[in-house]
Amino acid sequence: MKLPARPAACIVFWVAGIAASASADDSAFTSGTTLSSISGPEIYAHICQGCHMPGGVGAVGAGYYPKLAGDPALVSWQYVALTVLNGKDGMPPFGLPADQVMETRAAHLSDAQIADVVNYVRSSFGNHYKDKAKPAQVAALPHPGHPEPP
Amino acid sequence: MYQAMDGLGLAAESPYRGPIDLQGAPKGASVLILGAGMAGMTAAFELRNAGYRVQVLEYNARAGGRNWSLRGGDTYTELGGASQHCEFDKGLYINPGPWRIPYHHQGVLSYAKRLGVPLEPFFQVNYNAYLHSSTAFGGKPRRYREIKADYQGHVAELLAKATRQNALDAEVSKEDQEKLLQSLKDWGTLDKNYTYVASDAGSERRGYQKDPGGGLSARPIPSQPIGLTDILDSKLWMGIPTGDTYDMQTALFQPVGGMGRIGEAFGRELGTLIRYNSKVKQIHQDERSVTVSYEDTASPGTALTARADWCVCTIPLPILAEIPMNVGSPMSTAIAAVPYASAIKVGLQFKRRFWEEDEHIYGGITYTDLPITNIGYPNTGFFSSGKGVLLGAYIWGLHAMEFTAMSPAERVQKVVEFGSRIHPQYPVEFDNGIAVAWHRSPFTMGCYGMWSTDARAKHYDDLCAIDGRIVLAGEHASFIGGWQEGAVTSSLDAIGRLHQRAVAQGAAA
Repeated sequence: MKLPARPAACIVFWVAGIAASASADDSAFTSGTTLSSISGPEIYAHICQGCHMPGGVGAVGAGYYPKLAGDPALVSWQYVALTVLNGKDGMPPFGLPADQVMETRAAHLSDAQIADVVNYVRSSFGNHYKDKAKPAQVAALPHPGHPEPP
Repeated sequence: MYQAMDGLGLAAESPYRGPIDLQGAPKGASVLILGAGMAGMTAAFELRNAGYRVQVLEYNARAGGRNWSLRGGDTYTELGGASQHCEFDKGLYINPGPWRIPYHHQGVLSYAKRLGVPLEPFFQVNYNAYLHSSTAFGGKPRRYREIKADYQGHVAELLAKATRQNALDAEVSKEDQEKLLQSLKDWGTLDKNYTYVASDAGSERRGYQKDPGGGLSARPIPSQPIGLTDILDSKLWMGIPTGDTYDMQTALFQPVGGMGRIGEAFGRELGTLIRYNSKVKQIHQDERSVTVSYEDTASPGTALTARADWCVCTIPLPILAEIPMNVGSPMSTAIAAVPYASAIKVGLQFKRRFWEEDEHIYGGITYTDLPITNIGYPNTGFFSSGKGVLLGAYIWGLHAMEFTAMSPAERVQKVVEFGSRIHPQYPVEFDNGIAVAWHRSPFTMGCYGMWSTDARAKHYDDLCAIDGRIVLAGEHASFIGGWQEGAVTSSLDAIGRLHQRAVAQGAAA
């Protein structure tokens, strides 16, 4: 619903995004489901699998998207949560405050949602990690962005 | 010559300073360039011309990178393996990447000219295209001219009212108030009482209910303005300044035949200097040279190497971040710190150019709050019979992520469904479509580098600085992110610095 706060960083999509910014709800998916209402499996299906692919099989081109199915790095939920929060190697950060996502056209997931999608990935695609990330534990990890001044 | 142009104030706004001067290249010095996109080919072209021995390694089987047009007969395979065969008719295309060149992007424009690529106008603003809200006006699109004229008219009326009720006395002198009122009348097509009502003058802006004609049926009927509340509620006013930003101001251009014509021409110009189907596996520098290990994508497992004195690396950052390269921590940290934007373009072929035939929309863009965001009409081939291709969607942000997660066929189907709400002809006239999701692009893994202000402050200079014998270039190493001009100016800046260093170090290693 907002125009980008810093046009210099948003040169290309500023115009492309004007009408989108006027959208009745630009945090909604095409089904009408809102981003904030979805949990692990839907988050994966609507967002993560764009790169990590259905079934978490990853992909290889000039570079690669890591395969999540059987990825030994998933042993640490903290590693997975930190990656989702902060992004890495071109992956967008999903832990930015909702009012700061526009600058990099990222999307905001709550700590509970990040815990949920981390738990989903670590218990799907043939992964069977039993320990679960809790929202409060995700909240305690470093987040990107800066809090708004009081 | 440039000084003369500057003297006339003609070149002040462009960062491009004319053909680069790279005199005095050390005899036999060599440069290896990674990537045959706009940045890589700009570097190759100029360094070759300056006397360097140049080789370019390119992952794709074609030149251009994101400078690219998909035409009938092309096949595109995205990450994950889904292949799409483009079934457009001869001469029809979409540009999955850049599609417009602002007049002040003098770098790109000059290379198009030097390479003999003809350009034609790109219409950013079409007053007869639509602004569309799914929730306002019963979901019916409005013409851009109606929204612009009415918004302007209502605002002018309100400002005139405030002026005449002395609400601006503290701000504006009496003399200036008279001038202001005159300008508001003119700007907003207000009547003699400074109100915005249906009128000939207003219809000259927003269009008539019945256009003036000739003979006995000649008499025009003025159209009725949309009320202020309706316009404000619709949020369509957000679409009014689409052509007001510096990058979107008239004139804009596109290459005749598709944006990809520039990359293709560059590729022809460089010929065998480019080695295609080359996937870079490792970049290693020492005190004397840079060695790049790569494999031929047609025969995976082949271990090939290329070596040169210097390296210009234009590989997009998500890919470069995964390639072992012995540069210092400032550059490697910068490479990992830039998220790439999610974006989608979908080209749709229709059995006829109904947007021209039925709705008199010739080029330009319709903006909507639907997930498709844009409908871009072809700025070429006007009035031609036969099939036509339009850009059915150009999507960013969350919706782009969602569309990326779909199969190509689902993306096209959804785009046709959404577009039908603006153009009811879609279901009957739709022929075929092709969808490019940039995060599924094997050669970029994203659309372009999205620098946050914070990340730029911390890492931008480190990304651009020469590390030993390696320098990076591309739109990601520019302040014109996502634009080809960023790639070109970044490349010229990088090779200028590299050349200085090469000259300082003297003859080839």
